[in-house]
Amino acid sequence: MKGTQKVPVTILTGFLGSGKTTLLNKILSEEHGKRIAVIENEYGEVGIDQGLVINADEEVFEMSNGCICCTVRGDLIRVLGNLMKRRDKFDYVLVETTGLADPGPVAQTFFMDDEIRSEFSLDGIVTLVDAAHIDQQLGRSDESSEQVAFADVLVLNKTDLVSDESLDTLEARLRDMNRMARVVRSKQADVSVETVLNLGAFDLDQVLERRPSFLEPEYPFEWTGVFQLEPGRYEVSLEEGPDPMMSLVVVADQGTDEESLNEGAESCVRLYAESAELLHPGDKIPLNKHVNLQLQSEGRKSFSLEVEKSGHLGLFTQHTAEEFDIKVRRMDTSVSESGSNQQNDLLIPPIAERTWVAQHEHDDEVGSIAIERLGDVDPEKLNKWLGRLLSEKGVDILGQRGLLVMQASRGE
Amino acid sequence: MPDIRELGPQGRGMLHEGWSTEVADYVIVCGWALEGNAFLVGDAAGGLYAFEGKSGTTLWHRKEVHEGGILAMSIHPDGHIFATAGQDGRVLIWKSKEGESNKALEIGKGWVEHLQWSPDGQFLAVVFSHYVYVFGADGKEHWRSDKHLSTVSAVAWSKSNELATACYGRVTFYDVIRDQVNQKLEWQGSLVSMVLSPDGDIVACGSQDNSVHFWRRSTAQDAEMTGYPGKPSQLAFDQTGMVLATGGGERITVWSFQGNGPEGTVPGELDLHIGAISSLAFSNRGSLLASGSRDGSVFVWLLQKNGHGEPLGGAFVGGRVEAIAWRPDDCALAAVNANGGINVWDFKNRIKTSPKGFS
Repeated sequence: MKGTQKVPVTILTGFLGSGKTTLLNKILSEEHGKRIAVIENEYGEVGIDQGLVINADEEVFEMSNGCICCTVRGDLIRVLGNLMKRRDKFDYVLVETTGLADPGPVAQTFFMDDEIRSEFSLDGIVTLVDAAHIDQQLGRSDESSEQVAFADVLVLNKTDLVSDESLDTLEARLRDMNRMARVVRSKQADVSVETVLNLGAFDLDQVLERRPSFLEPEYPFEWTGVFQLEPGRYEVSLEEGPDPMMSLVVVADQGTDEESLNEGAESCVRLYAESAELLHPGDKIPLNKHVNLQLQSEGRKSFSLEVEKSGHLGLFTQHTAEEFDIKVRRMDTSVSESGSNQQNDLLIPPIAERTWVAQHEHDDEVGSIAIERLGDVDPEKLNKWLGRLLSEKGVDILGQRGLLVMQASRGE
Repeated sequence: MPDIRELGPQGRGMLHEGWSTEVADYVIVCGWALEGNAFLVGDAAGGLYAFEGKSGTTLWHRKEVHEGGILAMSIHPDGHIFATAGQDGRVLIWKSKEGESNKALEIGKGWVEHLQWSPDGQFLAVVFSHYVYVFGADGKEHWRSDKHLSTVSAVAWSKSNELATACYGRVTFYDVIRDQVNQKLEWQGSLVSMVLSPDGDIVACGSQDNSVHFWRRSTAQDAEMTGYPGKPSQLAFDQTGMVLATGGGERITVWSFQGNGPEGTVPGELDLHIGAISSLAFSNRGSLLASGSRDGSVFVWLLQKNGHGEPLGGAFVGGRVEAIAWRPDDCALAAVNANGGINVWDFKNRIKTSPKGFS
């Protein structure tokens, strides 16, 4: 009922051996005046000394609609559903998941189940990272990457076993996977209770002070294709893609080896920094110039390209070729004997191509972006944007959180 | 829509003030024993109480019978004994009159969440994690299920020797005497509740994805009813098996099985609660439905065969209604709530009244 405060829940994740039980015991034995109920999925060897501890097998329930966003943790629904009936006996819940747990369903449980949603609030996800072993774990399992990506707090534990230098490298790597999380270093999970509990309060107080100084520049293009072209006229055609507009830079003499591609990318960033010229289907694409292709009409759209001397042309495109099915065709070849039905023969494949997105994430499968803008939010526009984002990219999004300032509505 | 608070705990319409009392903690389970002469209540602190059926006088009270709290209770069909289970992993069998337990079954380290006596009272089904055990009234183990796909979420007896279990993705019918599986009904989804029609042919399950799935055992036909705002944890069949009342939101959705229904039909909707439905119970005879809500309101409805219905009375008890029970003669209705409150109303169920008499 209204007025009843929801019980905050912290999820504690991390691989076996990262120090979860040690941390749990620290929290439970510290004098903080909070009564904490613990739900344990991992039957650790170290017993938990105090508090209400409930063991439950991890049960991941997928729904018949096949939607991964609807996947929930049945064990949590069951245990929390019973716990809420004795809520006067505790004011906080800690859920310790196994090292192999996917944090997605855990988090979704607090939004998808109406009963749990009305009684509990997900306060935060704390992920313990074993500084000495995480490098191998990140390479080996999706779960560890996702546990990092989902975290509100990353506790970098066992720092005494690793050099400062590699700690910095590791922290940078984790930052790349999750820019919003707070990173705390510890030796034997000796972090204060405030680091782990009541993160919501922490968030509200401090998130505004966080500056995204760690945001590195990203290339404004996702794909490069290098084409070997003889003098003549060519057609660059595109299908409908995720955007009604796509920017592009075509450069001459683009090399195909790794170093040349990187160099080309660097110089293209400068071209991308200049304002783009708007081109409509049928227009000619100039060389070494930032252009914006207008793609609003239906069906395949073509633009022309003139090559004066033979060489390697590099196309640096805002989106990947795959997304728009970008094709380059020769146009002015004297029509062959058999007529015009030889279009496929005129299709020119790239001799080299490079997708830039993956490199940005340093081959970790998960990444994060932060969007920061000042001013009021138009809830309708935001809703529309989120709706479209989720419908098109929902399966790729692990989690999202935000602080939105809404203008108070006037009147009714 | 009336303001439910104005109804008051004493009740309006056909609900007439009976008795009320309070126990120490959140009431989890309740039921009538000894032909309606005793009302039994178990709470989250593990307290167990018996009240005299007509006056509400305490007959007996036992403290902390299950460490960590009571999770389930089932009253034997003869009403003279009953079983309780809790977070301590034990099942206790009690004498209703004396409040004495002469049998304690240690099931294991973990929660025992569901209990159900078979219709002939010979067996007691006990749900423990992924397993279901069947004990005799003497406390002897008769049968044990194989390991289920997940924690078992519900059990129901279709016959005195046939037990249905529900878990993630499956309903299974076991012959507990021959130790064999009679039928498996599969469906990918998390089944959170289950009821059987009185003839045992229709199996209805509430699902985590906010739908009700049901099967007809005789024809192996199944259907899915979607569109609930919440998960339908509460399900109840009337004694004829004609109407199925379901929660899963503020409204009670009633499916009628008359004709070719409920597939392709519009269900009846009973809409007076302002919070989500938390308990449903049909009368022992006739189609009177009692409903309780998280908002603390209780209503009684007269249902037609087509699933539509009118309210006969209501009350406001102040806390989430955790369970609701008709006295065996249907002349009283009891509701227990999250604040430890117990309310019993007299229900003169043979008198005809204007359906809207209370508003």
